[in-house]
Amino acid sequence: MELTKDILLDLHRRMVRIRHFEDEAGKLSESGQMPGALHLYVGEEAVAAGVMVHLSDEDQITSTHRGHGHLVAKGGDFKQMYAELYGRSTGYNKGKGGSMHIANVDAGMLGANGIVAAGPPIAVGAGFSNKYRGTKNVAVPFFGDGATNEGSFHEAANMAAVWKLPVVFVCENNGYGEFTPQAEHQAIKDITDRAAGYGMPGIQADGMDAIAVWEAAGEAIERARNGEGPTLLECKTYRYYDHVGRSGIGLEYRSDEELDEYRKEDPIPKIEKHLIDNNVLTADEIQAVHDGILAEIAEAIKFAENSPLPDPSTVTEDVYYTG
Amino acid sequence: MPGPVGIVANPASGKDIRRLVARASVFDNQEKSAIVRRVLVGAMAAGARDFAYLPDTHNIAAEAAHEFKDKANFTEVQITRTASTMDTVYAAQAMFDIGCSIVLTLGGDGTNRAFAKGWQNVPLVPISTGTNNVFPGLVEGTVAGAAAGLIAAGKIELASVSNQVKATTIEIENEEDDLALVDAVLVEGGFVGARAIWSSEQLKTAVLTRAEASAVGLTAIGGLINPITQSDDTALVIQFGPDGELINAPIAPGLYEPVPVISTDVIEFGETVTVEGPGVLAFDGERERVLRKGQTAKLQVNRNGPHVVDVHATLTKAAHLGLFLTK
Repeated sequence: MELTKDILLDLHRRMVRIRHFEDEAGKLSESGQMPGALHLYVGEEAVAAGVMVHLSDEDQITSTHRGHGHLVAKGGDFKQMYAELYGRSTGYNKGKGGSMHIANVDAGMLGANGIVAAGPPIAVGAGFSNKYRGTKNVAVPFFGDGATNEGSFHEAANMAAVWKLPVVFVCENNGYGEFTPQAEHQAIKDITDRAAGYGMPGIQADGMDAIAVWEAAGEAIERARNGEGPTLLECKTYRYYDHVGRSGIGLEYRSDEELDEYRKEDPIPKIEKHLIDNNVLTADEIQAVHDGILAEIAEAIKFAENSPLPDPSTVTEDVYYTG
Repeated sequence: MPGPVGIVANPASGKDIRRLVARASVFDNQEKSAIVRRVLVGAMAAGARDFAYLPDTHNIAAEAAHEFKDKANFTEVQITRTASTMDTVYAAQAMFDIGCSIVLTLGGDGTNRAFAKGWQNVPLVPISTGTNNVFPGLVEGTVAGAAAGLIAAGKIELASVSNQVKATTIEIENEEDDLALVDAVLVEGGFVGARAIWSSEQLKTAVLTRAEASAVGLTAIGGLINPITQSDDTALVIQFGPDGELINAPIAPGLYEPVPVISTDVIEFGETVTVEGPGVLAFDGERERVLRKGQTAKLQVNRNGPHVVDVHATLTKAAHLGLFLTK
């Protein structure tokens, strides 16, 4: 795999899009303008970007309660995303999904999910479909460290391995299951240690480094496309905001010092330094990327705020699949 | 009385991308903890009672120590934890400061390199739990622990059963120096990424402290052309390029690659090899430092690395001295 300038720019752009989308959404939520709880992806951008660069719209992903970043990285449109978060009828799911059930099946994003570990079995179904139909497509479930304690994860991993399905299990291990430190909810620290139990390879990547994730994910996805079966890829990462919202609910479960250490590993300044050092972009050009995305976000928020709420008469529509 | 036995178990060893791009084995942390337990049993059987360990982020050593807390004295070395390679470097410095008489490392080439960065001439028993294991040998923890214990208990003199190994020091222009124990290589590219090396096309220049035909990793390339042992007071420099002669070498576990070699040169201790960026410097199998265009690095091999204990020789000597006889 060659790390071209286009890939570097793509990684950077996807991460910056996630960061600003989430920051603005967090502000709107805190000011009471946007309804509902938001689980923000800030800090973990390198994982979504590093994986998604390898995927097309025909490749499927499943997401988590912290799902905006995955959809943004999968090419989500800001207007439809903000509209969905605002509960407006112009949103991806006509305003009925909201933050935790946002989906865009056309782009292969099979949905965020409020149920921990609900995504992996769905992705395994998509992987089975890919294999059955003889496509070269890959399904990628994203999930956290806590999800690997759930039965649905074990069942999904087992089935994917038995049937050698094109699935790449991406664990975003941010060290906490909601407010519970990993050491208090599982006796292992490396999710990769679970892989041997299913008969699949398990590898780790630095989830605070988009290039490291890109490289590792690329190999795992290529392997899946070639019919060699699933991989468990664990990305060690960190969320900068609380479990919910930006400032959270004030529980003391992690230290400021720990947060400061991970702030030093921020994946966006890291790749921006790389872009400058390798003469890919100047500092001014990087600022222009940020400014352009912020302008796009401002327009999208305006679009969402001016969009109508769903009509009450549609409340029973889109509840069940009708073929 | 000699100082305590130091124990460092690297939780990150044996988990990188080479399980995918090559066929390396996964080393889970439960097994590493089991090895530490066996090490402790061996060391205590040999008479050691004082231990110091790195409080690794996965509690590998701490959990093992807990099992024996009533039978021996354990000190957790105080370091600022970073959950990175630096933990091993800091542990080395701390173990030097508290006067460890011998250190056991669990990891691969990278782990031992990191430890040597913190304590370059450490008396060492390296146990292989990594991916490429040229530096640490395959040795059972029980007897590795026994060998360390004999030295820590003052029953066997370190100098009589150890050899100081070679190391490559790397002076990087305008940056901190670095260190490699087996191979220091300039590869193409501009990023560290997933760290491991699994493509021979990337290789530009290698300096090998040892070139072993029966090893796996970049050292095997030299070993299959011009073997140099750990005891030779020389090193090998290899230049790579697309027009070179192809040598089929196992550059990672389960991965033979045709490697284009332009030249090999034996160098003496103290000779300087200069490489120039752009590129990435990889040490002991992992990409570590990015060299910018025009930035230079000067590499020099000397016999100034760790003092590595010969476990077999130590236990044989103990047998001749009757050290394990009980009345």
